[in-house]
Amino acid sequence: MRVNYQVNATPQFRILSDDQCQEICSAAFQVLEDTGFELYSDSKEISNLLSESGALVEGRRIRFPSFVVQKALDTAPEVLTVYGRQGNRATSIEIRPNHICYGLGSGCVQFLDPRTGERREYHREDAATVARVADALPNIDFVQSLGTIHVHPNLVDVYEFAEMIANTDKPIVTYARTLGIVQVIHQIATAVAGGEKEFVKRPNYLVLGSPASPLFAEVEPTKRVVYCARHRIPYISCTAPTCGGTSPATLAGTLVQSTAEVLTELVIAQTANPGAPFLVGGVLSVMDMRSGILSYGAPELSLLCAAFAEISRYLGLPYYSTAGATDSKLVDEQAALEGTFSLLLAGLSGANMIHDTGFLESAIVGSLQYVVMMDEVIGMVKHVLRGIQVTPGSMATDVISRVGPGGQYLTDDHTMEHFRTEFWFPTLLDRKPWEAWKGAGEKSLGKRAQEKLNHILNDHRAPSLPEPTRERIHTILAEAETKAAKR
Amino acid sequence: MRVNYQTNNSTQFRILSDDQCKELYSAALQVLQHTGFEVHSKEALDLLSDNGASVKGDRAYIPASVVQRALDAAPKCFFVYGRQGDRSKSLDIRPNHVHYGLGAGCVSFQDPCTGKRREYHREDAATVARVADALPHIDFVQSLGTIGNIPQNLTDVYEFAEMTVNTSKPLVTYVHSMEILRVVHKIAVAAAGGEEEFIRHPNYLVLGSPASPLFEEPFAVERLFYCARHQIPYISTSAVTCGATSPVTMAGTLVQVMAEELAELVIEQLAVPGSPFLLGGVHSVMDMSTGILAYGAPEMSMLLAAQTEIARYLGLPYYSTAGCSDSKLVDEQAALEGAISILMAGLSGANMIHDVGYIEFGSTGSLQQTVMMDEVIGMVKHILAGIQVTPESMALDVIDRVGPGGQYLTDDHTLEHFKTEFWFPTLLDRKPWQAWEAAGAKSLGKRVQEKLNRIMDTHTCAPLKESTRETIDIILAEAEAKAGRA
Amino acid sequence: MSNILVRMSEAVIEGDVDAVVGLTEQALNEGLSPKDILDNGLVSGMDHVGIEFKEGNMFIPEVLLSAKVMHASLDILGPLFAETGTRMVGKVIIGTTQGDLHDIGKNLVGMMMRGAGFEVFDLGTDVAADVFVEAVREKTPDIVGISALLTTTMAGMHDTIEALQEAGLRDQVKVMVGGAPVTSGFAQKIGADGYAPDAPTAVDMAKEFVSA
Repeated sequence: MRVNYQVNATPQFRILSDDQCQEICSAAFQVLEDTGFELYSDSKEISNLLSESGALVEGRRIRFPSFVVQKALDTAPEVLTVYGRQGNRATSIEIRPNHICYGLGSGCVQFLDPRTGERREYHREDAATVARVADALPNIDFVQSLGTIHVHPNLVDVYEFAEMIANTDKPIVTYARTLGIVQVIHQIATAVAGGEKEFVKRPNYLVLGSPASPLFAEVEPTKRVVYCARHRIPYISCTAPTCGGTSPATLAGTLVQSTAEVLTELVIAQTANPGAPFLVGGVLSVMDMRSGILSYGAPELSLLCAAFAEISRYLGLPYYSTAGATDSKLVDEQAALEGTFSLLLAGLSGANMIHDTGFLESAIVGSLQYVVMMDEVIGMVKHVLRGIQVTPGSMATDVISRVGPGGQYLTDDHTMEHFRTEFWFPTLLDRKPWEAWKGAGEKSLGKRAQEKLNHILNDHRAPSLPEPTRERIHTILAEAETKAAKR
Repeated sequence: MRVNYQTNNSTQFRILSDDQCKELYSAALQVLQHTGFEVHSKEALDLLSDNGASVKGDRAYIPASVVQRALDAAPKCFFVYGRQGDRSKSLDIRPNHVHYGLGAGCVSFQDPCTGKRREYHREDAATVARVADALPHIDFVQSLGTIGNIPQNLTDVYEFAEMTVNTSKPLVTYVHSMEILRVVHKIAVAAAGGEEEFIRHPNYLVLGSPASPLFEEPFAVERLFYCARHQIPYISTSAVTCGATSPVTMAGTLVQVMAEELAELVIEQLAVPGSPFLLGGVHSVMDMSTGILAYGAPEMSMLLAAQTEIARYLGLPYYSTAGCSDSKLVDEQAALEGAISILMAGLSGANMIHDVGYIEFGSTGSLQQTVMMDEVIGMVKHILAGIQVTPESMALDVIDRVGPGGQYLTDDHTLEHFKTEFWFPTLLDRKPWQAWEAAGAKSLGKRVQEKLNRIMDTHTCAPLKESTRETIDIILAEAEAKAGRA
Repeated sequence: MSNILVRMSEAVIEGDVDAVVGLTEQALNEGLSPKDILDNGLVSGMDHVGIEFKEGNMFIPEVLLSAKVMHASLDILGPLFAETGTRMVGKVIIGTTQGDLHDIGKNLVGMMMRGAGFEVFDLGTDVAADVFVEAVREKTPDIVGISALLTTTMAGMHDTIEALQEAGLRDQVKVMVGGAPVTSGFAQKIGADGYAPDAPTAVDMAKEFVSA
């Protein structure tokens, strides 16, 4: 028997060494101590909170001595679970170091019509469709709306959330942009969870927030951080700087600044409620220096997000990464390869939640065709991430001997026993010989992805919510609409 | 100042631990010693028998000590140059130095102008070489096809001749007979500038292969001996399908291919100790619906990454496979399968990574795919370079200077660094919708075709010396005459 | 074409601020008019930069550096314009709409417009409709540019256009809008004169507006 055996149970991947993580974190601490951040506009509540934390406040400029940040890091949990909408374990997400899962994104102003492929505005019904399709896809673990509806600002995220929670029982991430909106959404979420207490036990959604770059905070979003902390709503502090634009052009500089930015929200959250569930998040990329956009397809996005995952893990915090997106205007070869790169690298980096699958055109357009295609890629990536098992059974020297020189394995028992688990079986990628492929219609992957999407649209039904819950949601929406109309 | 600082100066990637490499290597040794390896060559069997192996009929049982001696003799690093001793095109075959290149042997070819799938012709070898010569991330060249419209006996020779004329990058050739190898070698020697020059600046590699599972055909041995005796770098590449010509489990496949290729190593090093040798692989699953060797399967990348690590563990360089696809078109599937394999092979640190441009599981060669993947390789290299963490790059002074709410666009630090920190695509599009639409609303595939057209219209490689061209013409004429008589 | 102005153009293209300042003073000493210097030394250099940028040979930070260098020269020439009746290409007011604090896009547009020879007044972020109106009244610009990064603040753009209408100033300016969530459909709906998806387009559109 073999002893003293250390294996890679999965592939191992690192961008930064521990020393490099340490350097960046120390530098971030230094930025918070020396440069600090600025809070725009006044709020007694937030000011008091900051003083309570130990921050040094000079007008708008707020600095954190390192011990303040350290205290927040000490209380922040590294592990948490987000459940299906009614507390179901089957669709839950385990947030633990190096446990990965994938999901969609939100906020696109345009949408690729799921049936016609036409590029158009995003509508309320699309949130329902997106949730239903995501519900059907085996490699999508959490749901976001993939768009943003053009209605009264106070109702955008509320409608999206209501549609999503009615059409999937997978956990939902919402970009609820104001405190008022979070409050309404929280009503819906707790109603579905079965009450406030039930929600605390088994949270079923996360709020996506965003510190601003470089190094400033607005009051409304900050109040949202506090609200989430107090109600134990898992909160994602997702910074989105552009290298050379709103953060230093050097990748390390961007990591330092981003770390500082999310730590400011961490301090606020942990001061408001020590132990509040908090994730570091990042959509870190370069500003494309020809077009001025945040490039979602750039290799630097993957590099930065992977490094940020490592830094988060180094600090003992979970991480919400970005992948499966593209700068391409079409679901074409560029979309395929850019999305694939980022999905593989984010998986290798061990990020806990990997969002934005389905983003075209640098997050301007959401596409379910793209989501379906990338769902296949995630399956492929997961197979890679499972690595190679090296055991006497898998090395199979007895089988090699049995088959012998010049033999063949097709009819060997060993092959029958193992091929279904050893191999990955594509559902969309085509491996037919030319004639068979031609006979089946000569279709590109894009075409097959559309066909698969059509099947899902036609056939998949998400489990429905119980009647009383649906009524309750209806009431909450009506109240919100009335309030919005008054404004 | 910071001391005791350990940094990653590139990405770090391992699929196997050292212990796992050791296990797999030990198991391969066991196979060679206990199961043995069939060699259909008396000369090779005698050589083995005289040097510690036990031979029974065609079966050689090679003890671990013999393998160990071969590993000790094999060079851990060596160099292959461009033709005419061109150092600027050299391949540094050293641990973790990666190079990408094309493949050969496809029976069909995607017409570089029309995109139609057709037979591969002699002129295509010239075009392929010329285009590969132009692409910045292609380091070595293969013909991307096998000539179909002329009688078979000289096709490899013509491909090699056309490539020699049309690119100054190193070549890899897969020959089908000893006669062809001798002619090819003459051409290569002429392109190097003579026999002595060739020893100093070898400009091509020969791709060989044990047969799977676990045997060696007579021609394969001859080829191996010839390469050893002429110091031609030799690549031993099994091409197995898991579950058909190797065990269905990846670990089992690794054991088998290691055994096969180490057997070739032993034979070669016994013939001429110190001959330049690379382990190689085109291993994948047999797709259990269609029976093909799946070039787009994730298992291929995993197997090759693993074998790269075992090779490196043993001190041997590795010839991997990537940039290829099972797709029948250069479509989204070709893009993503090519991309994932190029990234994995780069991460694994394989020395030579071939088959960039293969579609239809190696049945069709496509310059469109090659051009697209050349862009991908550029992107991958940027990822592999990792992130530099230094006081200058962390830029605390800049962060302080710009301050909360500021912007970095006009800061000197940005101007100074953006061109080296960022990767600049040439084919991938980042324009806003209107600008993209105004530029023709093109998919990547369309832009790829345009770039290929431009290369074909404008690129010429550095010319061969006139005397060399004449020598090659003479060699070809002699070979044709001989083949005509045969 | 005077040799000095050719060299000045080159210095603008290369982003050499010392050379441009030196050449500006030299040009004035040699009796060249501010307008001549502006058109043939500075704007000509920036035009070339614009072409190189469109072809992908120059990038945003370099364009901005050239713009900055051009303005070092304008700091010297500016006071002389009033005397000689020289005008800049046009006058632009820009700002981010009310409730929106994101300004990198707006800043980029502003800087590139300056590089194109526009006089730009940047009202900053979180600019209420009436602040825009007051600025238009005071500065009488040719163009008003409004940016928004959040869908929730986009409505402010409509408010500003309406406020300009109410103040009787709408016809005096061209209004262009931009920002990630803004679409040409939205721009049309709210009665804007133009929508620019990126900074270079904004500059081209502005040039068209003033030449019409």
